[in-house]
Amino acid sequence: MIIVMRAEATAAQRDGVREQVEASGGRSYAARDGNRTVLGCLGDTDALSEDNVEALPGVESVTRWRTPYRLASRELAPPGGRTVVRIGDGPAASVGGPALLVVAGPCSVEGPEMLLATARGVARAGAAALRGGAFKPRTSPYAFQGLGLDALRWLAEVRRVTGLPVVTEVLDPRQVELVAAHADVLQVGARSMQNFPLLAEVGRVRRPVLLKRAMSATVTELLLAAEYVLARGNPDVILCERGIRTFEPATRNTLDIAAIPVLRGETHLPVIVDPSHAGGRADLVAPLAYAAIAAGADGLLVEVHPRPETALSDGEQSLSLDGFTELMRGLAPFAAAAGRTLVPQPKALPEVHALKGRLGPTCVLEDAPAAEAV
Amino acid sequence: MSESELDRLRADIERIDRTLIGLIEKRVRAARRAAAAKRAAGLPTLDPGQEAAVVRRAAALAREGGLPEEAVRDLFWHLVGLTRRAEQDASATAAEQRQL
Repeated sequence: MIIVMRAEATAAQRDGVREQVEASGGRSYAARDGNRTVLGCLGDTDALSEDNVEALPGVESVTRWRTPYRLASRELAPPGGRTVVRIGDGPAASVGGPALLVVAGPCSVEGPEMLLATARGVARAGAAALRGGAFKPRTSPYAFQGLGLDALRWLAEVRRVTGLPVVTEVLDPRQVELVAAHADVLQVGARSMQNFPLLAEVGRVRRPVLLKRAMSATVTELLLAAEYVLARGNPDVILCERGIRTFEPATRNTLDIAAIPVLRGETHLPVIVDPSHAGGRADLVAPLAYAAIAAGADGLLVEVHPRPETALSDGEQSLSLDGFTELMRGLAPFAAAAGRTLVPQPKALPEVHALKGRLGPTCVLEDAPAAEAV
Repeated sequence: MSESELDRLRADIERIDRTLIGLIEKRVRAARRAAAAKRAAGLPTLDPGQEAAVVRRAAALAREGGLPEEAVRDLFWHLVGLTRRAEQDASATAAEQRQL
């Protein structure tokens, strides 16, 4: 149930209501709606009668949950109505506010130099964060599986020298703390969206989570997956629409544009779009990205590779650095039309050749928990 | 156990809770100062490796102290999250002030 307190209710009255909820075996979460407190009750509250709760001092109204997800629902939105997830320093590295977040980088981290070259290129074009896969969930067990711990170390090192926050996927609940020691955002990929032990673990570590919609998941299933993370106490969840599987073979997936306004209506969590996986083709990335921003997305997750034709994975859908720069240039009028801002923060990053020696395969991070690697 | 003995224990627990809250306040203030120092040095305020190291250190201390390690890890991830928010709030305020 959702309990709305009167505007003039005292803190003691609010605590009294929460005590009743907790005494009946439930839990309560407080949110603000204007000058009123809204208490969302979770867990087993069968013992509570709505009439009795409504009669408690300070209570204005009691309603039933409208949706199966609770913490993700609009009823428990933070002040301002939307969750803003900060993933780094500065306004460009947050998502859910007026500024669009653009995360770009290679599908897989293939080596330190290509990673640094990509980081420099995407930062110059206006990306606020770097993506790069260390552990890759591949449909075939014989496909390239990622470079694992080496890739994580390169990501952390590139993060250190460029200042770009890093987004990378975690596949295994046992590796969550290891990945959290190297990255700013933990990505839960489409294939892991309903890996519930993984969701619980990323909920525990309190690192922002980028949760991708599974290719056959409904909007409600995506929000229930987010609920697993939120219910473990991690409020920083970013949802990502990346295309769903339909009967249409012309594109890798079908970008569910309608999911963007639907999600924004259903939840306070930020929603970003991955136009690379949605279309599966580099030439579709820009039009899908523009459509996503026009439909109200809070940001983009884009695959960029310095030489897409040689990429070890997903080369056909990766943009070159020039292609990404062009995409960012074309994005500006769409962002303006949607009432959003783009905060390009061209960074004066060191030249690649100046860093080669520091980014070899032997580069070791201080205090890296290598012994905990699986 | 007599009722007065129980009252005394409850008073002890309340005192410990007050100390805990005071320590959390201190930790948040120290983190804000650390964020300001990092900003002044031109360093990013967030440091995933450092946060993970804090949790690992707490887990090791819990193990030595005979406390449930996983529960202490949970607690410290909460604490780290709470402190990070405070650091970020301090950073955001500083950024806004720079823009004004």
